Amino acid sequence: MRTRPWLLLAPALILLGALLVWPLVRVFLFSLQDYGLREIVTGESNYIGFGNYAEIFANPMLWTVVLPNTIGFAVVAVSATVIFGTLVAMLMASLGTVWRTIVGSAIMVAWAMPAVTGTYVWIWIFDADQGLVNETLKSLGLMDESFNWFTNPFTFYAIVVLNIVHHGFPFVAITVLAGLLGVSKEMLEAAEMDGAGPIRRFFAIIFPTLKPVFSVVIILSTIWDFKVFAQIYLMPGGAGSNRDVLNLGVWSYVESFGQNRYGFGAAIAVLLTVLLLIITAIYVRTLFKEEKE
Amino acid sequence: MRRNFGPRTVVKGVVIAALLIFTLFPAYWMISSSFDARASSGGQSLLPQEFTWDNYIFVFNEGRFGVFLRNSFVVAFFTVLISGILALLASVAVARFRFKFRTSVLILVLTVQMVPLEALVIPLFVQVRDLHMLNSLLGLVVVYLAFSLPFAIWMLRGFVAAVPVELEEAAYLDGASWGRMFRSVMLPLVAPGLVATSIFSFIVAWNEFIFAMTLLGGASDTYTVAIGLKQFFGLHSNDWGPVMAASTIITIPVMIFFVIVQRRLSGGLVSGAVKG
Repeated sequence: MRTRPWLLLAPALILLGALLVWPLVRVFLFSLQDYGLREIVTGESNYIGFGNYAEIFANPMLWTVVLPNTIGFAVVAVSATVIFGTLVAMLMASLGTVWRTIVGSAIMVAWAMPAVTGTYVWIWIFDADQGLVNETLKSLGLMDESFNWFTNPFTFYAIVVLNIVHHGFPFVAITVLAGLLGVSKEMLEAAEMDGAGPIRRFFAIIFPTLKPVFSVVIILSTIWDFKVFAQIYLMPGGAGSNRDVLNLGVWSYVESFGQNRYGFGAAIAVLLTVLLLIITAIYVRTLFKEEKE
Repeated sequence: MRRNFGPRTVVKGVVIAALLIFTLFPAYWMISSSFDARASSGGQSLLPQEFTWDNYIFVFNEGRFGVFLRNSFVVAFFTVLISGILALLASVAVARFRFKFRTSVLILVLTVQMVPLEALVIPLFVQVRDLHMLNSLLGLVVVYLAFSLPFAIWMLRGFVAAVPVELEEAAYLDGASWGRMFRSVMLPLVAPGLVATSIFSFIVAWNEFIFAMTLLGGASDTYTVAIGLKQFFGLHSNDWGPVMAASTIITIPVMIFFVIVQRRLSGGLVSGAVKG
């Protein structure tokens, strides 16, 4: 009886250990080495201590481009996704069954769009030559020549935010809606009778009740938006040719597989992982604290 | 229930219309471009102008999308099958047994989901290469198992916990062994949860991009749809008609599965996430 749970867990744990935990240890070991093409072919190790980390922190790219892109993007994308998703959830909660189903199904379509195809559709919409946005702006006379939305880091990330919000708000809306439907109607009505407006009702009743839901949604979105990869890598210039739009994940990938500097790339990846682990630790603590309450 | 057609209703109607347009527009634009003969030559407008199947024919003939689709289905099928079995066993362990380190196992399962794929791609590339499984679909299946397992365990746990313990005890009283109880009581009752997690694993395997690109880099015969599309885009980057046709083909199976599973998926996410 004692061993049965471990027998049941064994296959899954072995797999997770071999494919998630051990690689994490190894990426850290790689990050302490000058691991290049020769090492990757021969499998020899070449330890250099914390040289890669020193190089990263001394690199102005990190401070002027990569970190602002990673953190700034995550802050903007998470706030936009959560605020928009919450507004949609509140709209859905106020609808009758028919319209709620219609809006809910439309949201599912946005959610189901794979990241790769969704990204191509946004590239096509903003395409410099024949894209819908450029064509429309030109035909309205607002613009004389086509504008390349992908060369400027600011408009580049504006499109990424649009893409991420479009793909990410359904999760927030559906999760918050489930929570909203559990908020006591009597309390809301009582507050309304006492003269509380919609904003007051939101912050006095809905938000406190839904706090656990919001903390889950915010932390999960933060984790997802920190490690966004395909949505940037696939955009024109996003795969390393435009250095101004790199974020931590893409930087690590292009240094490793583009420049064969696997050790340096591994160190960047470790940095990203540490950032995410800190956020995860907060997440786990919030979850288990709420379970105890 | 009829309401007055007041200004509030009008505002709400406009908001809903705007929301529906924003939500559905990319999917609409993708599908409409894929059927429009003018999408490749420019001058396409909001409504498709010349209906054609040519983009799809081109995708299958020149783009070899049939091969990519088959590869993706093979990878997704084995990922779903194996991760379903392993996740079910593991979730029974954490939901039904109280044992030492149970909380640690749960925290581990939760934490590994947060590991960025970018951090795993370098060591797993080396590992898969050492096993001589680069450019093979099997290598990809093994990697995807690791990505889909934590979430599958986390979600199935809720479904297993919802099976009344009394039913299990009744089976034991009838003289069933643990294995018999598992097969005849537990399995049928968690089947809906198994469907939901399978669909989730399918979507993980179907959509994954960074590992498919890294591990299958050399051999386009083994490409899955996600990177097939990338290669296709590189070759014909101005031919938006075929690119959108290929995107539509990739998106359809995922959309069908999402519709099937939407209730369970959101319910499972909420209970899995909120109830810890």
